[in-house]
Amino acid sequence: MIRLFLRTANAPVLILLVALGIAIQTALFASPPLSWIQPDIVLIAVIWCSLRRNLLEGGILTLIFANIAEIHSSAPQGAMLVTYMAVYLGVRAAAKFLVLPNRTSLIFLTMGSAMLWRLAMLILIHLLGAGANLWRHTLIYLFPGAVIEGAIALGLYRALDRFDGVTFKSPRAQHILEDEVQLEGEGL
Amino acid sequence: MIKYLKEYRFYIILFLFLLIPITAIDTSTRAPRNHRFYDRVILGITSPIQTAISISLDQIVSTFQNYVYLLSTRQENLQLVEENRRLLNSIASLQETQQENLRLRKLLAFQENFRLDTVAAAVIAKDVSPEFRAIRINRGENSGIQRNMAVVTAEGIVGRVFRTTANSADVVTVLDLLSAVDAIVERSRARGVVEGMTDEVCQLKFALRTDDIQPGDLLISSGLGSIFPKGIPVGLVSKVNRKAFGITQDVEVRPAVDFSKLEEVLVVTKIHSEPLLERAESREKEKAEAAAVARSGR
Repeated sequence: MIRLFLRTANAPVLILLVALGIAIQTALFASPPLSWIQPDIVLIAVIWCSLRRNLLEGGILTLIFANIAEIHSSAPQGAMLVTYMAVYLGVRAAAKFLVLPNRTSLIFLTMGSAMLWRLAMLILIHLLGAGANLWRHTLIYLFPGAVIEGAIALGLYRALDRFDGVTFKSPRAQHILEDEVQLEGEGL
Repeated sequence: MIKYLKEYRFYIILFLFLLIPITAIDTSTRAPRNHRFYDRVILGITSPIQTAISISLDQIVSTFQNYVYLLSTRQENLQLVEENRRLLNSIASLQETQQENLRLRKLLAFQENFRLDTVAAAVIAKDVSPEFRAIRINRGENSGIQRNMAVVTAEGIVGRVFRTTANSADVVTVLDLLSAVDAIVERSRARGVVEGMTDEVCQLKFALRTDDIQPGDLLISSGLGSIFPKGIPVGLVSKVNRKAFGITQDVEVRPAVDFSKLEEVLVVTKIHSEPLLERAESREKEKAEAAAVARSGR
């Protein structure tokens, strides 16, 4: 019963964790030079969802994460929903065709996604007619931002793996839980 | 029907995930928008954490600085006593100058005199994305802060409030892409709109090519739009690119406020723009009326 509760609590707790992550990110990296190495917690959570959740659950979580990011930003309404959803679907599609055998490949995928997100934001802002000079800023941030994202992703993916294990969301823990439920159902 | 839904489940979900973000896009990017109910719930969780981290960081930094400064405290103390004496003299002199200035202004009725009601606030967080330059302050609706109020420091304009909650407010700074401040060049009175470029500089748009704008010119708020009081510094012109043809010129502006060191700000809650001369005239009128009443009574 407790295990089933933990499994149900996985998504709400994940949302809460992302909100806390954003609070820490925006407060801790508020002043220079720390602001230059600010990682994007939401992006990592979105990539994680695209790899470890099914299409519907991951998509809904992505929309919620993007909305949380949006209320901590002056970005035009919907801009972050579009860009994070683009990353979510892009990574899902990439994961179908690419083999991700280890964490190193995951890091490269994260770096690529970070660059994709920035370019998606640049294009979107241009389409909205707001960011005539954003390309310069994007170019400055593109590669260093991706490297920082990749560096921080390693630890965060491990922590998220552990979190999924604890809440019986990982495939292995899920099998154990299903076996247990079946045994209980059979009166054993 | 259910059979089709099951068969095309993947495509339906994919379509919805593409549709929802696109329909959520707000094309009027400069329009102010406030938080929704569920946004406020999230902010109720994150704002206290941001405040706590911000205060903790300040404490750590100040403890470290105090330790470092302790090494030469006595010498600095003596210097400060001397400086304090000098400053007191300067204040007395400035007060005299201010009085004189006020009298001259009243006589000449040359310029409007503004008094501002402000609320002091501390910066507790910055924008989640480096592409945008909003900041969050630790005062909100409970302190009388509302959307579209001007946010300033002693150096100049910081930005305007664009979203509020009970205990925090988001400020879109002049560096932000979505910011626009109507400004005039103090020296030549040339007019334009200062817009953010996300980098450390802004641009003055719609300044005519024939306008006299030079590097080093001070830009002040024009007072149009009723958000920013007139005459508050916006920034200094750092670069001017005037082409041989065209209608406008490219003007780069360095903001008056140093955003890298921004810790406290003032939110302008009310602008009193009653000119001194009008006030003096109304007082004279009241006196005359009172005298007339007294005479008729007699």
